[in-house]
Amino acid sequence: MVLGFTAAAIAMLVCLIPAGLVVARGDLADAVVAYEFITAVVVMVLALLAQAFQRSSLFELPVLLALLMFGGGLVFVRAVERWL
Amino acid sequence: MARDVCADVLLGLAVAVVFGASLGVLLMRDAYQKLHFVTPAALFAPVLVALAVLVQMGLYENTGETCLALLFMVIAGPYLSHATMRAIRVREKGDWRPGKEPER
Repeated sequence: MVLGFTAAAIAMLVCLIPAGLVVARGDLADAVVAYEFITAVVVMVLALLAQAFQRSSLFELPVLLALLMFGGGLVFVRAVERWL
Repeated sequence: MARDVCADVLLGLAVAVVFGASLGVLLMRDAYQKLHFVTPAALFAPVLVALAVLVQMGLYENTGETCLALLFMVIAGPYLSHATMRAIRVREKGDWRPGKEPER
């Protein structure tokens, strides 16, 4: 385990707390922005944890989430624009 | 040793960028202003993390996969930000183009 990567992942997870507050308390537009922030940070956290633990099965997760972040984010934003 | 220090400095910078961006998302007034603070977390921090991984681990298969994920983020981030801003404007004004808003 590489300590620097683990520490950075934990620190980034702590940084999600303000965005979580915005999701919980803000209006819909603010929550969408905070959701995008959280998704971007979670991709980095997964990449950092995969590097920290050096298990080959963990390395696919950030790639998949990064792809899904783009597709899912666009669908969600379109839903916000038209229906929500 | 030098690799460790360099990687730790890059990771520290990435965490600082994400921390500042999270404060911006929390404290800014409206969604347009908040969206400006998503960009550092979606563009600069992944580049710093990818550099830290490259410095620490060197070039091998798992490093390539990590860099691929972070590259997807860097490419997707601006498109997603643009689409979000457009959607919020359409929600507020009815059309994203200035002067084309439907009369209410």
